[in-house]
Amino acid sequence: MKQKQQEPSFKKAMINSIKSFASILPVMFSIIGIVGIFQIYITPSMISSFFGYGNLADIFTGTLAGAVATGHGSISFIIAEGLKEQGVSLYALSTFTLAWVTLGLIQLPAEASVFGVKFTFYRNILAFFSTMIIAYLTIITIGLFS
Amino acid sequence: MNKKLEFKGTKLLILVFIAYIFLFIFDNTNALEALNKSKNILSTLLPIFAFIIILTALINYFLKPKQILKHFGEDSGKAGVFYSIIGGILSHGPMYAWYSMLSDMRKHGLKDGLIAVFFYSRAVKLPLLPLMIGIFGITYTIVINIYIVLFAIIQGKIIDKLMK
Repeated sequence: MKQKQQEPSFKKAMINSIKSFASILPVMFSIIGIVGIFQIYITPSMISSFFGYGNLADIFTGTLAGAVATGHGSISFIIAEGLKEQGVSLYALSTFTLAWVTLGLIQLPAEASVFGVKFTFYRNILAFFSTMIIAYLTIITIGLFS
Repeated sequence: MNKKLEFKGTKLLILVFIAYIFLFIFDNTNALEALNKSKNILSTLLPIFAFIIILTALINYFLKPKQILKHFGEDSGKAGVFYSIIGGILSHGPMYAWYSMLSDMRKHGLKDGLIAVFFYSRAVKLPLLPLMIGIFGITYTIVINIYIVLFAIIQGKIIDKLMK
């Protein structure tokens, strides 16, 4: 006997969506818990103190500090503005602000548990190098315009 | 079909819980502040979570697995990349808030490369553009955002090759 295929109702789609979301709640709570700890112990003034050790070191520091730091993207710009006044290179500031929004060291375990270790590893390595290359290309490009 | 509820990241949550216990023992004041910060973050994220749950339900309701495969699967082509960039740019909140929706779509055929495109495109922050222009100037802002989109596409292509 041929069975008529039932179209899923919106209610069912909603229930499935809630279940999907609920399944990663431990991941969410973990990250939020870690972010809370990081925001207390890694303050903007602490991040600022890492810079000022030469251009090359600042670039590397910028990427790492951005990757470790947490919080709204606007905070990275505010810190960057202060660092700019301290004479930190635009290259380092670019890697810092970009790494802030694209890399997340504290999210790595969570990302791996949802998308797998292989994907997380490749994506973050690529994002890490992209951040440095983009910063370099941006400075070179705006140099052509000025 | 109803989904079975399987929790992800429970070990990580236990580790974080233990970390907080240690913090409460050795640095009570900061532990309380950290917990308070986490509570504030959670309350800020609640509307975003609600939005994502509704969006996922709408995607599941209107886009059947076949259609997800067509728009975001192996043969999605340039259109899939375009939708992922736009989605990434328009998406609000932290990256992890979007894990559930992307994980759900991945089960229905969303390409890994497009997840990478989505994640990196999120670096284009529309609400922050005025602040960026104010600090770094308009030329810098335009140039860096073009490169971000370009590298999001490149990352997507590389991820697809690496994940095969």
